[in-house]
Amino acid sequence: MRPGRLIGRIVLAFAGFMAVFPLLWTALNALKNNVDIITRVPRLVFTPTLANISYIIGRDSVLTGLYNSVVACGSAVLIGVVLGLPAAYAVARYPNRWAGDIQFFVLSLRFLPPVAVAIPLMVIWLQVGLYDTLPALIITYSLLTISVIMWLAIPAFQGVPKEIEEAAFVDGYGAYSVFWRIALPVAARSLAGAVAFSFVLVWNEFLIALMLSSSNAKTLPIVASELSQQGMNVPWGILNASVVLLSLPPLLFLGVLSGFLNSVFRQKKT
Amino acid sequence: MPRRSSLPVTFVVPTLAILLVLSMVPTLYAIVIALQNRELSATAYSWVWFSNFFDLFSDRRFLNAVWVSVKWEIVTVVATMVVAVGLGVLMFEVAGPRLRNLYCLLFIIPVLLPRVSAAFVWKFAYHPLYGIATYPYRLLTGGLIFDPLSKPGTALFAVASVDVWQWGLFFAVIVLKLLETLPPQPIEAARLDHAKRWQIHAYVTLPMLKAPLISLMFVKMIESLRSFDLIYVMTRGGPGVATETLDMYAFSQGFIESGKVSYASAMAVLMMIATVITFTMLWKRVQA
Repeated sequence: MRPGRLIGRIVLAFAGFMAVFPLLWTALNALKNNVDIITRVPRLVFTPTLANISYIIGRDSVLTGLYNSVVACGSAVLIGVVLGLPAAYAVARYPNRWAGDIQFFVLSLRFLPPVAVAIPLMVIWLQVGLYDTLPALIITYSLLTISVIMWLAIPAFQGVPKEIEEAAFVDGYGAYSVFWRIALPVAARSLAGAVAFSFVLVWNEFLIALMLSSSNAKTLPIVASELSQQGMNVPWGILNASVVLLSLPPLLFLGVLSGFLNSVFRQKKT
Repeated sequence: MPRRSSLPVTFVVPTLAILLVLSMVPTLYAIVIALQNRELSATAYSWVWFSNFFDLFSDRRFLNAVWVSVKWEIVTVVATMVVAVGLGVLMFEVAGPRLRNLYCLLFIIPVLLPRVSAAFVWKFAYHPLYGIATYPYRLLTGGLIFDPLSKPGTALFAVASVDVWQWGLFFAVIVLKLLETLPPQPIEAARLDHAKRWQIHAYVTLPMLKAPLISLMFVKMIESLRSFDLIYVMTRGGPGVATETLDMYAFSQGFIESGKVSYASAMAVLMMIATVITFTMLWKRVQA
């Protein structure tokens, strides 16, 4: 093997190691007693404990945060699917002179600084009495999910071979049943990727949730960050356990999302 | 496609109407608030028109925040693209198909993590006494202390490294996939001309991918605007104001220190105007 190649492989292996090691280390620390974490030389051998994890799972604030996150993100994604997918299909299949402008408008929503949206929304929700409630969070997140799902679903629908849809029209299907029975099922895999992506995006959202909740509607990221605000008095193992809990749901979508990436680029090739 | 169908109207109009309401109401209201003098603690307010904006330009902390934001944007975008292109090309050159799949999977993991989680993971890792990332330094220097997050000179880079950890590795996967879509003939031709590996990439493949790479950079520029979570968890804008970006400063003016909601909103409006103008112009150029 040429030396350049060998060095390349070592660099690559190191990058792969760096990608996952910090996370694995956190997971390991979640299983440690405090004495095993606060050591000048990192300890690999220790007596594992489940105390941190059971403490996290048993805390009311964490459970409420988990519930809020699931409800807020689940509802927002559902709204995004119901409103975003049909609109994306129409833009992809019935192009008119506004199609480009619509796509740009949807993308431009992503340019808005979150803080510029969150400050006025906080004032608005306070005035209508919905501040610190889940509906306020769901409506706000819908803006994110609808636009992201639309943005990603347009190319997914464009990837469906036109011939299939045209054949269905010849067979006497109406425009709506072509959408339901042909376009949706054929594009389902790419669409699942788009939906999963929007879920990860709102699950990970922090600034808006921080500004729109004070006690009742706190999502899991907010609860986790508050644990750390108690300074180093909180046993580190507990903090690590909360990080692991927070990170698990997005990682469940790893397979779907990497499949989505592959399908996007396979389309490009053909 | 049938020419006459009600589908486009029924599918597009309600969604667009909702998007317009959801985005324009807060945007316009942000401007309204910025022209008033609302505070969190008081319910009374009056119109002060542009005085918040005039105050901003004589606020040295605001000017510092602008500079920190610009630095953040440049450092994270450049570092992400360098890491992405470097690792993408490396995977293309030295890894077989199975290894490539493995690396692709590993490199997507960091970007999926909530920013808050990523920030915690690295905050622990950067701890001067017990952190895993500072351990090699302690080992090599015989126990000297290195605290990257509390030095003004290194704090921004330490936080930026987490951003690059998330996005650089993810974009490396995309660069690899882009390289895989290229036709093999130009590469073979260059090889026949005895071009070196790095020359093939510098003069053949990467120029062929110029357009998608610029789009990728554009996406990263937008995502880099969302630095708040990382900075909030890792440094809270500190030490001093060394990592205080615009959104961090707006947040602390509006909610932590003084509750000056209008002042914070004026800042947010300026940010919004700057980003919308910049990105609209860039996007039109990318599309052209």
